[in-house]
Amino acid sequence: MRLTPSVLEIDYSEAQKRICRFIKEYLENAGAKGTVLGLSGGIDSATIAALCSNAIGGENVLGLMLPEEENFNQIDIDDATIVADKFKIKTQICDMSNVLGCFYNNIPAFDPSDKLCKGNIKARTRMVYLYYYANKFNNIVCGSSDKSETMMGYFTKWGDAAADITPILDLYKTQVRRLAIHMGIPLELAHKPSTPALWPAQMAETELGIKYETLDLILFGLERFMETEEIANQLNIDRSIIDQVKSRWLVNEHKRRMPIAPKIGFRTVGNDFRLPRHKY
Amino acid sequence: MALERWETILDFHDINTKSEKMNQKIKLALAQISSKRENKEANLKKIEELTIRAKEQGANLAIFPEMSLTGYVVRDQFYELAETVPGPTVKRIEGLASNTGMHIIFGMPELSEKTQATVFNTAVLVGPQGFVGKYRKMYLPTHSVFEEKRYFRPGYQEAAFQTKLGNIGLCICYDIFFPEVLRLTRLKGAQLIVCISASPAVRRNYFETLTCARAIENTAYVAYVNLAGVQDGLQFWGGSRLVSPNGDVLAKAKYDEEDFVICEVDFADLRTAETFIPTLRDLRPELFEKLKAYSEQF
Repeated sequence: MRLTPSVLEIDYSEAQKRICRFIKEYLENAGAKGTVLGLSGGIDSATIAALCSNAIGGENVLGLMLPEEENFNQIDIDDATIVADKFKIKTQICDMSNVLGCFYNNIPAFDPSDKLCKGNIKARTRMVYLYYYANKFNNIVCGSSDKSETMMGYFTKWGDAAADITPILDLYKTQVRRLAIHMGIPLELAHKPSTPALWPAQMAETELGIKYETLDLILFGLERFMETEEIANQLNIDRSIIDQVKSRWLVNEHKRRMPIAPKIGFRTVGNDFRLPRHKY
Repeated sequence: MALERWETILDFHDINTKSEKMNQKIKLALAQISSKRENKEANLKKIEELTIRAKEQGANLAIFPEMSLTGYVVRDQFYELAETVPGPTVKRIEGLASNTGMHIIFGMPELSEKTQATVFNTAVLVGPQGFVGKYRKMYLPTHSVFEEKRYFRPGYQEAAFQTKLGNIGLCICYDIFFPEVLRLTRLKGAQLIVCISASPAVRRNYFETLTCARAIENTAYVAYVNLAGVQDGLQFWGGSRLVSPNGDVLAKAKYDEEDFVICEVDFADLRTAETFIPTLRDLRPELFEKLKAYSEQF
């Protein structure tokens, strides 16, 4: 197999159709009225908004915009609004600043200089808002995690990864961008640099230390059990880069699983208690 | 000695001739359903409705997918859902077959009669006169999203049943990747090989190729009936079909969603196919001996 960008090519019409059917069927069978999603102004949430609207109608989709003063960005709000208007979804702006201030002021060990811990509070607070609206209006939370970030563990545990369904989880970032364009999301938004927006000027590719175009090919090779040496040779990059990606992928498996428990009983939750999610 | 043994097995022309006299043309209903998980009653009602519809449209045989009784992704619940075959569900299907005069094939988890938790992935054939036979899946996929060996014991017996409709063989889903299963079924006399399936969408190309290949290499009709719908994130791709002994796709159901297709099998076409590319005439039994030896060693 040649690791060229063409290996990431998929039939986007087919992918859209399959994801939309998945959303619609899940919702119907769960007996929920609609979906709630965090509408950040980024490409992943824009794609999710488009897919949900396509699957169940925009009137059944609520996009929460969750700005806060430290990281406020009017461009993100504008981009989120463009997406909401285009796909006719409902929106609600919730300023999280006061809530976050309460956390900062009431956690005895809070350290404002530790931007990672502080940023994770933001991601988890967003989750609280999303689940409140979902509970209140009998909706499900639709997550916007993609395959690249999930494999790399580039997300906040119980934060942005917390959701009932994650429709684009099996698409690499570069595939999400292509799907977004296929669905009519403006090009400038599709190619907008990704950011988790946990602190000012945070950029995903800078933090990951690699361009998504390269990262996705490495991850694609790892997904298919290709050897490190082979991936490095084909992409003409240093083996150490592949090692770093592979190591990060493997070490973050704990973030992708249920919490682990010592085995004591006959069948154990999250381990060998293997049940279907729903009876439908 | 080895050659004699194979020649005995290869003596299948008598069976063909007998069944051709019984019924030259039959109509199949490819009932591509989306089964409700852990809800036998809902699935049985659907089987009943569609069997009646098949009868109304002139069909003789209604075919439902793998695990159509219970749903495919039910995991540990297989132990609760499994029944003996024959058993309560088969009895109910017997009533349906008797009332409609139909033959019916469906899939279910089968509980062994001799143990309390040994389960098979089974295809059941019922006719107007009652239970005809069953096939226990030989090849249980346990890779990727599949975990069948965790729950099921494999079958060891190919299945071809002489019926008033002709000789019908059974296999299940992943079996089709192994030519020996359908070859055995054909050599046992099957002219129509029914493959019931629960195949997720990413495998569509394989099945579309293999259903044709198995039909051609065995000069037999292959009826493939797949699940539709989504179970635990797995989208079953549907695409059920009837393939002629020449590899032509004679009928095809929609991808991904439920569908119901009536199609016709003309057993007289077997003669033409067998003379055009005589794969059965040209079988080389001694190669199977080698195949056995090598497959035990590699």
